[in-house]
Amino acid sequence: MQVGRPLENRSPVSSFAKEALLPESERPGEQRDDETRLLEECRAGSVEAFERLYELHGARMKSIAANLLGSVADAEDAVQDCFLKVYRGAASFRGDSRFSTWIYRVLVNSCYDTLRQRRRRPVEARPEKWAPETDPELAAPASDHALRLSLEACVRDLDPRRRAAFLLFAVEGFTHREVGDILGVPEGTSKTLLFEAKRELQRRLAKKGMAPRADA
Amino acid sequence: MSARECREFDKALSRGERAVAALEIHAGACADCRERLRLWREISEAAPELHKSWDSPHLFPGIARALSAETRSAPAAPAADSPARRRRFAWVPAAVAASLFVLSMVGLYVFKPGESARDPFARPSMGKEPLMSNQTLKEVEDAESNYLSSIEKLSRLAEPRMANPDSPLLVSYREKLQLLDSAIGDLRGQLEGNRFNTHLRKELLAMYQEKKHTLEEVLKEVKS
Repeated sequence: MQVGRPLENRSPVSSFAKEALLPESERPGEQRDDETRLLEECRAGSVEAFERLYELHGARMKSIAANLLGSVADAEDAVQDCFLKVYRGAASFRGDSRFSTWIYRVLVNSCYDTLRQRRRRPVEARPEKWAPETDPELAAPASDHALRLSLEACVRDLDPRRRAAFLLFAVEGFTHREVGDILGVPEGTSKTLLFEAKRELQRRLAKKGMAPRADA
Repeated sequence: MSARECREFDKALSRGERAVAALEIHAGACADCRERLRLWREISEAAPELHKSWDSPHLFPGIARALSAETRSAPAAPAADSPARRRRFAWVPAAVAASLFVLSMVGLYVFKPGESARDPFARPSMGKEPLMSNQTLKEVEDAESNYLSSIEKLSRLAEPRMANPDSPLLVSYREKLQLLDSAIGDLRGQLEGNRFNTHLRKELLAMYQEKKHTLEEVLKEVKS
């Protein structure tokens, strides 16, 4: 297997990734054919195929993992672990769901594994929580900042399934069908999980005295 | 309407997303619900801002290295249903079947039930057990009488304490000895009609050994 060219100077969100961020209904039809081709190439062990997979989904994968795990380092580990699992499992992937949603399912399960391992670790060994205020890239307009921070804190405290549904649908823009595929639940359950997550967030934010934006 | 009195938003929350969306008209007249509805919408509006984005120039090269290492250690497996894979594992069902057959044969040979096992009401070992010669019988009976004499000696020593046991342990020893005496009596009764039966002789000897051992334990307990 040939290792692809290094990606140091590449933008983390490529045009492919931007395309992938579109809702399922708005994505071009040939993308699904691309996916089948990509799966075959991944099965053959082509690093170029994995590189394209990374270009398509890496940004979203990192974001999901970071939000689920609360740490950049753990998120990157989870993404790497996910790619290895995809490589190992591509041969046995039967196509019950789309290849892209299956990848996210592998990722979410990897994150759950990490969370389980973390629970077994002593408290002092846990990584530091995600600190968005220290990350200049994530700096948002001042008016939104307080709400975003509170929302982020409240999302972190959600039940894992509700949190995953909220992150996948409301944050990353997946459809309910895709969220259902990723979480292994029916589409209706995804809607219910999202509603429950929002209801819980509403309560928590109201308890924190979070007033709506003045300009809304 | 007072904010504290209005429960419309809570009711809508318990009914689902559509009920919350349908609160629009009510919210026009209720300041509390208007605020809560606005916060509800802001959650969805603010959510995409939780998308995390950062440069990780070393991530994919690391993944590529890990993938290369993985392929070096184990070449990519052929597709689950590929002919190559089917050919490669074609011997597995045959090997499993052969192993099962061999195991069954060994099991049948080792655990083949005897006459008495097939007929639970049959007298134990009658007719099938090899019979002893006169000489062997004499030797066995001598061994039994030796056991009997030592058991009698031990019984005499233990008798005073066993008549009035003063501890739960001695009580249980006494019960065990009573059971052994009963079993010995039964076996001797069976042997009267079949003195040469090896199996019954072995069982009787085992009972004598157990009784002797138990009496020795009793005496040890009494001394301590």
